[in-house]
Amino acid sequence: MSKPNDLVQGTLDLLLLKILALEPLHGWAISLRLRSISGDVLQVSEGSLYPALHKLEQEGWIQAEWKQTENNRRAKFYSVTRLGRKQLETETANWQRLSTAITNVVQISEA
Amino acid sequence: MEHWWYTLPLRLKSILLRRRMERELEEELQFHLEHKIEEGIAEGLSPAEARYRALRAMDGLEQRKEEMRDLRQVQWLTDFLDDVRYAMRSLRRTPGLTAFVVMTIALGIGMTATPFSMLDALVFRPYPVASPGEIMTLMSSSRDNRYDAFSYREYMDLKAHAESYSGVAASLPLSAVGFSAKADTTPVVRGGMLVSGNYFRVLGVEPQLGRGFRDDEDTVPGRDAVVVLAPGFWKREFASDPSVVGRVVRLNGAEFTVIGVAPESFPGMLIFSRPEFYVPLAMAKLFSTDPRKSFFVDRDDRELLVRARLKREVTQAQAQHEMDLLARGFEREYPKFNRDRGAVVRTQFELRTREDDVNWKFSVIFTMLALGVLLVACTNAAGLMLSRARTRTREIAVRLAMGAGRFRLIRLLLTESLVIAILGGLGGIGVGYAGIELLQRFEIPADLPVTVPFRMDLRVLTASLALSVLCALFCGLAPALQSTRMDLAAGLKTADVDMPGRRRLWGRNALVVSQVAMSLMLLAASFLMVRGFRSSLGEGIGFAKDHLLMVKFDPRLIQYSEAQTQQFYRLLTERLRGTAAVRSTGLTQNPPLGLDSFEQLAFVPDGFEMPRDRESFQTKMDTVNAGYFPTMGIGITRGRGFAESDSAEAPRVAIVNEHFARHYWPNEDAVGKHFRMDGRTGPAVRIVGIAQTVKYGETFEKAMDFVYLPMAQHAAPRMVLMVKTSGDPMQLVQPVKDVVRGLDPNMPMIETRTYEDLYRYASVDGPQVAINLVGTFGAVGLLLAMAGLYGLVAYNVARRTREIGIRMAIGANQMDVLRLMMGKGLVLVGIGTVIGLGLGFAVERLLNSMLFNAGGVDVLAYLVVVPVMLLVTTFAAYVPARSATRIAPTRALRYE
Repeated sequence: MSKPNDLVQGTLDLLLLKILALEPLHGWAISLRLRSISGDVLQVSEGSLYPALHKLEQEGWIQAEWKQTENNRRAKFYSVTRLGRKQLETETANWQRLSTAITNVVQISEA
Repeated sequence: MEHWWYTLPLRLKSILLRRRMERELEEELQFHLEHKIEEGIAEGLSPAEARYRALRAMDGLEQRKEEMRDLRQVQWLTDFLDDVRYAMRSLRRTPGLTAFVVMTIALGIGMTATPFSMLDALVFRPYPVASPGEIMTLMSSSRDNRYDAFSYREYMDLKAHAESYSGVAASLPLSAVGFSAKADTTPVVRGGMLVSGNYFRVLGVEPQLGRGFRDDEDTVPGRDAVVVLAPGFWKREFASDPSVVGRVVRLNGAEFTVIGVAPESFPGMLIFSRPEFYVPLAMAKLFSTDPRKSFFVDRDDRELLVRARLKREVTQAQAQHEMDLLARGFEREYPKFNRDRGAVVRTQFELRTREDDVNWKFSVIFTMLALGVLLVACTNAAGLMLSRARTRTREIAVRLAMGAGRFRLIRLLLTESLVIAILGGLGGIGVGYAGIELLQRFEIPADLPVTVPFRMDLRVLTASLALSVLCALFCGLAPALQSTRMDLAAGLKTADVDMPGRRRLWGRNALVVSQVAMSLMLLAASFLMVRGFRSSLGEGIGFAKDHLLMVKFDPRLIQYSEAQTQQFYRLLTERLRGTAAVRSTGLTQNPPLGLDSFEQLAFVPDGFEMPRDRESFQTKMDTVNAGYFPTMGIGITRGRGFAESDSAEAPRVAIVNEHFARHYWPNEDAVGKHFRMDGRTGPAVRIVGIAQTVKYGETFEKAMDFVYLPMAQHAAPRMVLMVKTSGDPMQLVQPVKDVVRGLDPNMPMIETRTYEDLYRYASVDGPQVAINLVGTFGAVGLLLAMAGLYGLVAYNVARRTREIGIRMAIGANQMDVLRLMMGKGLVLVGIGTVIGLGLGFAVERLLNSMLFNAGGVDVLAYLVVVPVMLLVTTFAAYVPARSATRIAPTRALRYE
């Protein structure tokens, strides 16, 4: 579907849900937010951003609404649904389990 | 489910607002792009560079869009809508054929909807109560009567001891109760229901107004005169007045307090009638149908219909096992009344489909015939669709050559069938609706409203539409499969190509054969039914039905005692005898060929060796007075008729019909013989006369045993007066009214009408509806077979135009061409006819065993039906074949 990016597989959903859980944003703002939060560590291709958003919308995890931006332009704002918050919880838990596991493996000292 | 809450609007939007979704997608990406470009410019790039970088970042805007469109997951649906649009367009190109196929399916479906609405109403519609599946009907069963009712005492025992149920309720329909809203008004006849105090609770029915019965209101006989009104009755009689609760009304002259109104959703448990009010069983004495029996005491006064709600954790088999034990207990404790008696637990479905149920038989016959028509219609539509698909060979070949998947093409062709079938289904609902209207117009002449329960409800609609979808699959699948499996090269070369191999023609031939066979069978069936009814009418009914006026009386309605009742009837006939224009008068409990069923008599004939497994025989009986036989013109062939001297004190006598006499005393004179009434223990009755055997219940019934008892010795309060005149019987209405007035101005005259009226409704119109229905089936079947054959031959002619041209060019004459084109069609008709005859015989046996009780084969029916079939089908083949002979060889050779 999309080019491989620098993100760990499947974490884009988690990141998007997390960002949108804080406040409703439009696509451009999301991409800015992703860049600024993660510094330059996480590279999200802007090309894969929109398909990912639409996928989340299709899953019913986020919903979209056309609103005015601060510059008085019409933009599509995404926000997390109740279902999306549940999903965020699950994915966060998953991520934590996974990262702990990976950390554990990585930290085994070579005897 | 929550998932759907968020995503369904989205899906709907993507389907319905496709363009807007596209626009928004575009706008959203554009918004991003613009910001990205601005950012680039702010970083010092040139506008062109910034734009290029922005586009690169999105790597392929169009690709992204496509990706997002796919994400909407509605592709299949938009494809389908495209298919539908395409199908509509392509169907519009052949409007004639499309219309014909749609009509064919509409007829098929419509003709199925009508009998299905019958089947639904009579068999499948669940009781209008909470959890209807848990409601069981409990019945007493004996060797002579597998579905007998329970007596009050038995019901009380069941209620006390049966543990399989959460509640056991009983009911008893009351067909004629004198009702008056106020004390001073003349009572009118209304139908009600005696029910046990727990009736509404067991059924899970909550009154919409007031309350239902309390248990204590059904314990002391005669104490609690309370009544619950039915919703319809409350609406009609009390204008839905909510203050009706607490009011006092009169039933059979006694005061009853209205305590509640049953809900709209509960029209009662019966199919054909709706009770208008409910009263506690404990009030039964007031409504007693038979004064000789003691409802609360006699264990063999079996009148109650017992229904019970099965406990959730109990199966029907367990309940049946418990019933077996209880029945054995009854047998031990009351051997006199319960010897060889069992008890059964039946579901609604089992109850309604038992083998002796006429409703069930009729609905099954009609449904089978209708399915036959539907099958013919579907095969016909399939044949037409097939020929349509074949003439489109080229289009399909082009599509296949251009790389369209076979599956995709099949889907496209199936969509066409689906569109046709849905159109046909909608048309069919119209046809079915008309049919049901027709059934509903058949009114029954009774003073009590009879509900005709057939209607086009959601269940029938769903069934019809489901059928049409099945039809679509059936009609469309074979043509779709066949026409997409083709030799591409050949398909592209000509507009039409005949595949090598006989397999596909075999399919078409089978269609024609089955159509001919089915429609022959349908025609034969309708003809047989017409002839069956006609011949039974032709046999005669055995009595004179003309110049008769009938009036029903029920002196109980105005609280007459038994003595007063007898006195009333005696004076009535005496005074009428002195009236001008009255030739004779008779009284009967139940005029023949009416709508009520006769009382049954259990008897033991003297000197007749009872079979080992039987206690007594059952026969239908009537209570009449001395004037009845001469008035009805029923001859007494031996012995004497009834006389005034056959009074209550005199020795008991009876008159039996000839059939009865021959049945039990085949080589002896039955006059002077005795039988015992009510089984072995009842009083001895002497046969004093033999009456002609006539038709009693139905005009098409087989001759049967019948017994008449004199009304002085077998009192029945409710009698029908039959008055014979030589002129117009309606002229008697006033004189009869005057005489009744003179006797008692309060006496209600129930159902005053000519006997011919009753006869026509009950014995002519009813069967006529059935004949019309089946006849329509047959006619439609024939029409469809005709169209099918015409289509086949016409298709062949078109397909073989070139060949015909060549044949004619090298010297074939018109006869040869005709033979060539028609030959195979006629062979198919021949085969179809033979199969149809076989089916016809089978149906005839079925009809005879179910309806007419006749044996043998009605040769005349086939002598008429088969030639008609052959003639019509030959004509159907001839018309297109004839056009083949007109083909000009030169044109045909240039063809293609």
